[in-house]
Amino acid sequence: MKVAYYPGCVAQESGRELDMATRAVAPLVGIELVDFPNFSCCGSGFVDEANLTLNVALNARNLAIAERAGLTRIMTVCSTCQGMLSLARHTLKENATVARRVEETLRPLGLRYEGRAEARHLLQILVEDLGGAERLKPLIRRPLTGLKVGAFYGCHLLRPHDHVEFDDPEDPHSFEDVIRALGAEPVDYRGRVLCCGFPIQFVKPATAERIAGHQILDAKAHGADAMATPCPLCHISLDGYQKEAGRAVGTELNMPIFHFPQLVGLALGLAPAVLGLPRHLVNVDGALARIGAVAVPA
Amino acid sequence: MVEVPLEIYRKSPQDAAPHYDRFQIEVEEHTPVLTVLLKVRDEIDPTLSLRYSCRQAICGSCAMRINGKSRLACRTPVGPEVRLRGRIRIDPMGNQPVLRDLVVDQKPFWDRYYAVKPYLIPDPAHPLPEGRESPMSPEQVEQFRETPRCISCASCYSACPAIASDPSFLGPMALAKLYRFAVDPRDGGYTQRLQAVQNQGLWLCLRCNLCVEACPKDVRPAERIVDLKWMANQELGAREPGSRHAIRFASNLTEGGLLNERRLAVDTLGLGGSLRQLPKAIAMMRKGRSLRRHPPIQGLNEVQAIYQALDRPEDLAHRERQKGADVKGPRPPLPPKATTQSAPPPSKGGSP
Ligand code: SF4
Ligand code: SF4
Ligand code: FES
Repeated sequence: MKVAYYPGCVAQESGRELDMATRAVAPLVGIELVDFPNFSCCGSGFVDEANLTLNVALNARNLAIAERAGLTRIMTVCSTCQGMLSLARHTLKENATVARRVEETLRPLGLRYEGRAEARHLLQILVEDLGGAERLKPLIRRPLTGLKVGAFYGCHLLRPHDHVEFDDPEDPHSFEDVIRALGAEPVDYRGRVLCCGFPIQFVKPATAERIAGHQILDAKAHGADAMATPCPLCHISLDGYQKEAGRAVGTELNMPIFHFPQLVGLALGLAPAVLGLPRHLVNVDGALARIGAVAVPA
Repeated sequence: MVEVPLEIYRKSPQDAAPHYDRFQIEVEEHTPVLTVLLKVRDEIDPTLSLRYSCRQAICGSCAMRINGKSRLACRTPVGPEVRLRGRIRIDPMGNQPVLRDLVVDQKPFWDRYYAVKPYLIPDPAHPLPEGRESPMSPEQVEQFRETPRCISCASCYSACPAIASDPSFLGPMALAKLYRFAVDPRDGGYTQRLQAVQNQGLWLCLRCNLCVEACPKDVRPAERIVDLKWMANQELGAREPGSRHAIRFASNLTEGGLLNERRLAVDTLGLGGSLRQLPKAIAMMRKGRSLRRHPPIQGLNEVQAIYQALDRPEDLAHRERQKGADVKGPRPPLPPKATTQSAPPPSKGGSP
């Protein structure tokens, strides 16, 4: 399946391991990535707080670029990118004033979004378009047997449901289905659908870190050896700021945090270095040892 | 019919810790959770405490957590919940202390409601007419969006993770209410209201949208909070980290089309604040994660053209309102005061 690949800003900068893992995993599961060096940032849930029309126009441009190339699927690897591109599509459908302004703005640039292209997260594509577990099972080279994984969805992939239209917004199961298909055991905990704290990391770090700490503690209390997330911003909170999160909840957390495609890649037999695992701030060696994948320094 | 394995949270004031009581009840698929709970109370255990009144999603008193989700018990059928989880676990609402079983002390919820001054603040520049109605145009009524539907059930408040982690946050319902008064054309408190929420944690909203999913009346508090952030940005400017972050994030993209993370940290936190991030930056660099600057995207000129066209106040008109005094807009002309005795009745009915 051919998709317009939308890595988003973080996967191209501080979280490059997500991009590495995506590029390594995609061909193995039957996804052909088409790169677009002209995609812009999605706005990340901040630009629309300054100016919604502007944010919608930026994403209408992204969608139009894919559409012009004959591709109707933009594949995101970030819950927030997924949310913002979906917000744009939804707003253009619902709000005639914004739709008109956006169209007027794109027309002189030779761009037009006709509503055919839509954003789909890698998790969504795997589960809904490629057959999920059925597709994955024959590809498994290194089953993640014995690993207990807490899925951490990231808000924007699930809510508001009428924008993203994926799974159950408060009690989803797609991620757990994949974890099971990879041979690992999903952990059921409430924090999996809650916020990682990232949106207020710059506003009030103490609160943001407490929130991240609560979710990790919750996963741990339910037996998780590791957590995995389809959102690089959640990854920043849970991995990048885990030390601070631990301090905020008064205990050392020591929880390896995988990006979603890294977890898939491990089960498909890819080497940890190929998946960028040595780049994490929280060491993942314990989890790797458990599944018989030895960490190789980058 | 469906077998419902029920787990009900129980705690009396004298209990040290709560426990779950388990019941097995057979009812029709569409039976509301509330009906099942009342069956338990009436037929099995008369000591079960819960709040309810209307039994038809009007009074807002039966909110609780059903399989973890904040919901009105009277409008949540058992069938889908049993199918989803194989059982129904009932907990009292979140973010409020439990008094007994499913009854919570709603004081923290109502305190925040009163804190936003949920009433009209007189506007000396536009005194309300004496002795008659102050009509609104349909466009002005539209500005309330879905907020007048709120039945104060606190489902959203119960679901809010920001409240759970930071009591200085006002929470979804109170902020949706504040929005409702801020856009009221009869209200004189626009700036004062926005200033007050800036200081009471408007920017602590995580945009997790759990309140949107929890609300039985589709009030969509998270979206009105984004509106309030936008209104605060327009009215008060980039005064503190939240608004500074949103505004600087937007301008950040004009340089290269993708986010320049390093630049944003400096812009939002200031030099001092970003210096405090230095240990983190070093820890990341050790892992080979230096923040490179993206080369500008192809077609950056298109992004810049979009900014040039839309980054102007008039393009905020999508909100169908403008800032400050303009929010009030011109009042529609008042109908002539009814003079019941003398004048003949108008030929066409119009005023109520
Ligand atoms: S979107 Fe904001 S107000 Fe609503 S539940 Fe989440 S943090 Fe609370
Ligand atoms: S906004 Fe919705 S969920 Fe919140 S109190 Fe009002 S009706 Fe209840
Ligand atoms: S009993 Fe009145 S809302 Fe449920």
